Amino acid sequence: MNFLEKLLALDRRIIFLFIAIAVALPLFFTVKLHIEVTPVVRNLHNALEALPPGSKVLVSLDYDPGSMPELQPMAESFFRYCFMRDLKIIIIGLWPNGPIQANSALEVILNEPDIKKKNPKYGMDYVNLGYTAGNEVVIERMGSDIPVTFPKDYSGNKTEDIPLMKGVKNFNNIDFVYNLSAGYPGTVEWVLFGVDPYKIKLGAGNTAVQAPQIYPYLNSGQLVGLLGGMKGGAEFEIATGHPAKAVKFMFSQSVSHALICFFILIGNFAYFATRKKKGA
Amino acid sequence: METIGIWIAALLTLGIFSFLYKDNPFYKFCESLFVGISAGYWFVTTFWQVFMPKLADNLIAGRFYYMIGAIFGVLMLLRLFPKIGWLSRWSLALVVGTTAGLYFTRYLVSNGMVQVQNTIIPLYVKGNLSQTIGNLVIVIGTFSGLIYFFFSKEHKGAFGGLAKLGIWFLMLSFGASFGYTVMSRMSLLIGRMDYLLGTWLGLIR
Amino acid sequence: MKKTKAVLFSILIILFFFNLSFPQENLSPLPPTEVRASDTPNDNGHSITVTWKLSGDDGADKKNVVAYEILRSDSPTGEFIVRGMVPAGNNTYQDRGAKEKEDKNYFHPHKDFYYKVRAKTLNSYSESEVAGPAQAYGEWFHLGKLPVFVGTVTFTIMVLAFISLARKGKEFYVRPLAGIDAVDDAIGRATEMGRPILYILGLGSAADIATIASFTILNRIAKKTAEHKTKIIVPCNDPIVMSVAQETVKAGYLDAGRPDMYKEENIFYLTSMQFAYVAAVNGIMLREQTATNFYLGKFYAESLILAETGSVAGSIQISGTDEIAQIPFFVAATDFTLIGEELYAASAYLGREPLLLGALKAQDLAKAIVMISLALGALAASFHLGFFLKLFTVQM
Repeated sequence: MNFLEKLLALDRRIIFLFIAIAVALPLFFTVKLHIEVTPVVRNLHNALEALPPGSKVLVSLDYDPGSMPELQPMAESFFRYCFMRDLKIIIIGLWPNGPIQANSALEVILNEPDIKKKNPKYGMDYVNLGYTAGNEVVIERMGSDIPVTFPKDYSGNKTEDIPLMKGVKNFNNIDFVYNLSAGYPGTVEWVLFGVDPYKIKLGAGNTAVQAPQIYPYLNSGQLVGLLGGMKGGAEFEIATGHPAKAVKFMFSQSVSHALICFFILIGNFAYFATRKKKGA
Repeated sequence: METIGIWIAALLTLGIFSFLYKDNPFYKFCESLFVGISAGYWFVTTFWQVFMPKLADNLIAGRFYYMIGAIFGVLMLLRLFPKIGWLSRWSLALVVGTTAGLYFTRYLVSNGMVQVQNTIIPLYVKGNLSQTIGNLVIVIGTFSGLIYFFFSKEHKGAFGGLAKLGIWFLMLSFGASFGYTVMSRMSLLIGRMDYLLGTWLGLIR
Repeated sequence: MKKTKAVLFSILIILFFFNLSFPQENLSPLPPTEVRASDTPNDNGHSITVTWKLSGDDGADKKNVVAYEILRSDSPTGEFIVRGMVPAGNNTYQDRGAKEKEDKNYFHPHKDFYYKVRAKTLNSYSESEVAGPAQAYGEWFHLGKLPVFVGTVTFTIMVLAFISLARKGKEFYVRPLAGIDAVDDAIGRATEMGRPILYILGLGSAADIATIASFTILNRIAKKTAEHKTKIIVPCNDPIVMSVAQETVKAGYLDAGRPDMYKEENIFYLTSMQFAYVAAVNGIMLREQTATNFYLGKFYAESLILAETGSVAGSIQISGTDEIAQIPFFVAATDFTLIGEELYAASAYLGREPLLLGALKAQDLAKAIVMISLALGALAASFHLGFFLKLFTVQM
């Protein structure tokens, strides 16, 4: 067995070890990377910038702790942006864990000094209507009546008694919808059951696994903009001028990607070289 | 209290990671714990978020038409009794039928007509080479992809050639997809590493 | 006092020299003209659409009109109330209201309303003449959705026609699929090795087309395993899917004439949580040393983890899903992959059921129609023939 054959038969545990090092080591360093904001993220940011202060933004968090590293920074940066711009946030979840994720993101953001100064109030500036079962049917029902779909908020207060929800009947009273999605139900359902029938303006943040599937909706204009994976999250943080978690993790992400590319290259080289030899 | 929580989470993470080395009792313990807890969590969530607000509260409020849904739900449980288990098929038929109906027009519009509408683009844009190439790729890619998924004709001759072009387009898109997923997986690993090294061990800020 | 007078005097002098006059007579802009109000088409009857011709002072170089206000009244001479505002450059407004009588914003259908449009500058405005009366009323049919209706009816007729043809015994050709030819070998291998077969239906619900297609394939495979006396394990992620899977496997064993061999405990529910499910299935693969793994149905992020574990365990793997994002992993990590619709085709090919075959044929015809439309459409668009696009335009 020559070197190349050995390389092909490399114990995958060695690769795991390399990846672990490539991910962990960069976490100890603070390296400023140049992160370019791509058009799909720029479009989302522009659409948000066009909203006047006081606009009502519906945020649907459709993920669970399994997708936290990718989507939680997006939730945090979005909430921060809304508070800074005085946009009113209405939180819902099509996944049972969504509203819990929202609360933990809010806890982080509400403790930031800039936001503390703004002192956003529950019920006036933001509200968490919690989860309701029904997947895409929930979106369908919200199109005709939001308070009927979510009669109570996360803590059990009546939706109609919440000041922020006064005058919010259906999607006509919502200025923008932002969806963080890790699967079903998620962005696809929001396009199918929200955008096309009710003409809502939709922006989304997705796990990178899902992102390629969502691209056709961007090209057709059914979706305003998209944050794809942690990189998309980092771009949004740069666009909003507040680099945070996603930007911090980009160095680790880049080093690990470089290592994977290296493995793919030498793997393919070894494969073709040994095959040629066998063929000959 | 929080410290105990962090320790438990960190040790369980390491337990699941240990599978990367090889299957072992520690991993098996973590796996069983995960399955058990998630099944329990699912049950509690369904009870408090679905059963209580969607059924019980409505019945208490006098909206008795919710009994129709409840009856179909009970029919589903009849599977436990083999003799009358066939009744559960009615509930299944209801679920399958309504979902199919709900999705049919939505898919036709959002994934069919709107997408076709956006693929009908000029093949040549005067004075804009990059857009011309982009449009050609979209139109030819969509067309040859559809040929690949045409099952009524064997892939031979010119038709086969187009189908082959279609699979090339598919493979290219799969490659892009693959890249995105690698990114996703790395992000998840970064998240866990940050937890282990930062939140748990306090080595990074 | 003297100082103020001096300042005022000098301002007047400056204005005089620069030939500036106080723009009193030009203060209000030209009013919008040709205001029309009529029922909004294709709605439930609680809205009136107002259109107008832009004010002569609305334009890039004039810029003094900043917005239009739309006012409404019950009578041409009554009090007009502002209903809404649109930025300059817009010439339509939909005056919408609620359909519930108790709502403050209730819009009365079948009642005469009169409209005026007000062109506004930063510090002045002018009003159009009164338009109306107009009444809001609902329509029975939303004509903007006609293409959807035509599409739905045509496709339904196609499916029903092909199903009926298949029932009458017409032979339909379905091209061979690589993954399907491998199924028999895979089952044979498991039998030789004396190890079980693992069948994963994915994370979809019983209503997902991919899961339904997978049930048909499961039925065929169950029949084959019954014939070969090979154990089949089906761990499920959804209780309803589990119930259907039990029925399906049972039917397969019945078809093979071995109902006695059917063991319900081999088709079981694990958990609905994605990664907990994956962890458990991984465990099963390694402990049971399954010879062949099938992954057919709806898959998400777990696809690669499952396929990778199976590959490490040395199992033969056949996969198929319509989740585009997951296909690359199956292509890379399993031996055969049914890409997207091939999964449905495989199910029709194996099942030879008129229902599936008919649907597959109808889909092929629909695809042919789309391909022709695409080709013609691209040509039409290249020669700037806009009418073609309208065929696909759906108003909501």
